Amino acid sequence: MLKTTKVMKLLFFPIIAFLLCFLIVPLLYMFWQSFKMGDTVTLQNYVEVLRNIEIREAFMHSFAVSLVSALITTIFAFLLAYAVHFTRMHRSIKKIMQVGITLPMLLPTITYGFVLIYTFGNQGIVTRLLGQPLFTIYGFNGLVIGYILYTLPVAFILMQNSMQYIDKRFVLVSMLMHDSPPRRFYHTVFRPMIGTIGGAFILSFILSFTDFGIPASVGGSYKVIATELYRAMLGSIVHFERGAVISVLMLLPAVLGVVILTILERFNFQYKQVSDSELIPARGRDWFFTLLSLISVVGIFIIFSTMFLVPFTKGYPYDFGLTLEHVQSVLAEKNLTQVYINSLIVAFATALLGVVVTFIAALLNVRTPVKGRKAFDMASMITNTVPGMVLGLSYLFFFNGSSLKGTFFIIIACNVVHFFTTPYLMAKNSLLKMDPTWEVTAALLQDSWLQTVIRIILPNIRATIYQIFSYYFLNAMVTVSGVIFLVSTKTMLVSTRIKELQHFAKYTEIFVLSIFILATNLIVKLGCDYITTHKKGEMKK
Amino acid sequence: MLELRNISKSYENKKVLADINVTIEAGEIVSLLGPSGCGKTTLLNIILGLTQQTKGQLFYNGQDISKQSMQDRGFNIVFQDFALFPHLNAYDNIVYGLKNKKTQMSATEVQEYIDFLELTPHLQKKVHELSGGQKQRVSIARTLVMQPNILLMDEPLSALDGVIKESIKERIKSIARQFHLTTIIVTHDPEEALTLSDKVMIINEGTIAQFGTPSDIVQKPNNPFIEDFILKQLHIKRHNIYQLFGEIYA
Repeated sequence: MLKTTKVMKLLFFPIIAFLLCFLIVPLLYMFWQSFKMGDTVTLQNYVEVLRNIEIREAFMHSFAVSLVSALITTIFAFLLAYAVHFTRMHRSIKKIMQVGITLPMLLPTITYGFVLIYTFGNQGIVTRLLGQPLFTIYGFNGLVIGYILYTLPVAFILMQNSMQYIDKRFVLVSMLMHDSPPRRFYHTVFRPMIGTIGGAFILSFILSFTDFGIPASVGGSYKVIATELYRAMLGSIVHFERGAVISVLMLLPAVLGVVILTILERFNFQYKQVSDSELIPARGRDWFFTLLSLISVVGIFIIFSTMFLVPFTKGYPYDFGLTLEHVQSVLAEKNLTQVYINSLIVAFATALLGVVVTFIAALLNVRTPVKGRKAFDMASMITNTVPGMVLGLSYLFFFNGSSLKGTFFIIIACNVVHFFTTPYLMAKNSLLKMDPTWEVTAALLQDSWLQTVIRIILPNIRATIYQIFSYYFLNAMVTVSGVIFLVSTKTMLVSTRIKELQHFAKYTEIFVLSIFILATNLIVKLGCDYITTHKKGEMKK
Repeated sequence: MLELRNISKSYENKKVLADINVTIEAGEIVSLLGPSGCGKTTLLNIILGLTQQTKGQLFYNGQDISKQSMQDRGFNIVFQDFALFPHLNAYDNIVYGLKNKKTQMSATEVQEYIDFLELTPHLQKKVHELSGGQKQRVSIARTLVMQPNILLMDEPLSALDGVIKESIKERIKSIARQFHLTTIIVTHDPEEALTLSDKVMIINEGTIAQFGTPSDIVQKPNNPFIEDFILKQLHIKRHNIYQLFGEIYA
């Protein structure tokens, strides 16, 4: 067994201090604030918020709309993952669907709302094709569609991963046992997936419940809790205490969700091995899922096509002449290019710092005996629960008087903490998979621990590092809710600038900026994916 | 009685099996033996009805079953890693298929199978709590209660360790005898094949190298492949064991 060395402690303290300063303390401070009224400690703030009819209504709305979209998302994600793993749909269609479904992840959620308006709104493409609007896009309908677009990729990836580890040969066993189709479905797919289905549902619900971008763009007069929080803090009349209370209330469903997730965990079981078994051909099934996949992907493409249509046409929807005018005018505006550069700086710095923090945290947790290493697991549980808006708001409270206010650093720190969970678990998983005897072997060959990390661990985890980098970069590029309370005029980002442009109804600019984000994210993602597969290929040789 | 006539299988341009002709008598244990990639598993899947042959016919008791579906053939298989449902306990795995059968099997009949396989003390255990040998027996029980016409086994011993191997071997033999059950076993281990079965079918590069009783194969190998790959291994093993125990055990 390894002994704790000085170097380990030297790595441990800065990371734990960072998590304390930028996660635990601000949250506790905000929690404290929610009980304060002037100088007295009281429950009065809560009473007032709960008495407020508008806020109560917003809560119910958030609940209803998140529930509906989480239900639809879960069913869709399940069917699409099923199509990938349990049908003999053509391989190229599987690939197209997998990519198509996840593409919206490269865009800020606030953009979703605007493309929905331009697709289904009064001047929208679909509306013009049909002659009249299908339904009113503002409010409930728009929110549901927006949330589905937003949460489907996450739910789909979750289901897909889990289905990958289901032993397909049980379909064969079930057939040999003369199961009826419903019984076969239950025992070979549904029962093994229950935990994941529940997980996907809860995740979709929480994401929808706490998202700000979609209601900000397409919510209309349908009040939800995220927009109420925004109004309380940045509206015409500022209610700090109310903001703190709403944040705490917003945390509740998330905390509840995590509790349910841990319970659901018990339903999961692992197959000892996963053997590839040929699936039984079934024409009808394959056709159905091919159709479903194509409709989903085409639907997503149609919805997002407006994003490209509007900026490149002369005067949508009256003049469809092709033009680069709008793009050029955005590029000419110094203000907007500066905002884009700001975003790049923040995304790169977030990705770099994020890689360092998550890698060291995971390394200390998995491969050293450092005391207190379990704290990182706790931190990842907490960051998994805390919505971006709540975290950002806690910073606003805590760092208000400090020199950190209005800096890039506070935004970067917020992003690193907000998106901590997934990359941390990614790093942990890869480190766990590595042979546990490496450190001992290297020590016997006279390596110090740090040398082992640099010479053995790092080269072997490189692929995961690139994936973490890409995850952080993409999320930092698109997040609105996490940073909406933290940006200043000097540190304005593309995603938050879009929110401002909304006031001036400058939709063309919004779409041009969205395309910038999309293109940047695509480049970074493809780059990281390329390096990852390239490196893996090299290792295999 | 199972008869294969001119069974061939090719994938695109690759020929996996060519003109397999063989007759397996009722109640016999037959091993399909050969190196990996020789086509033995493909042949097993063709008999099971999972894979469709490219050419040739299968007859079961004189009836042409070439086009019959896997379910209609009524054969069953025990997998190498047992493929027990991980969310069900041992007992629920054993009776899994009974719920789908029209003719009910009585509880005493089920208990007979359980007793025969000595599984009574393990019935309430979760799958992951069972040892390798116990899993194997549960898997066999689950298949036997379906009363298959032919029992297929894919590498039944390779996931088990030393001593258990020998006892499962005896178990398989006694099952075949007790239920007069035709049993077809895929294996890559010559010792296993030759000590377990009534007849051995040695397959090499998609064709039958030799089909005969174990003593036929040991005494009258009919081509160099069998001498080089099958018998040579056994000679080395015999030599090693002699060295350990001394010639008196010869």
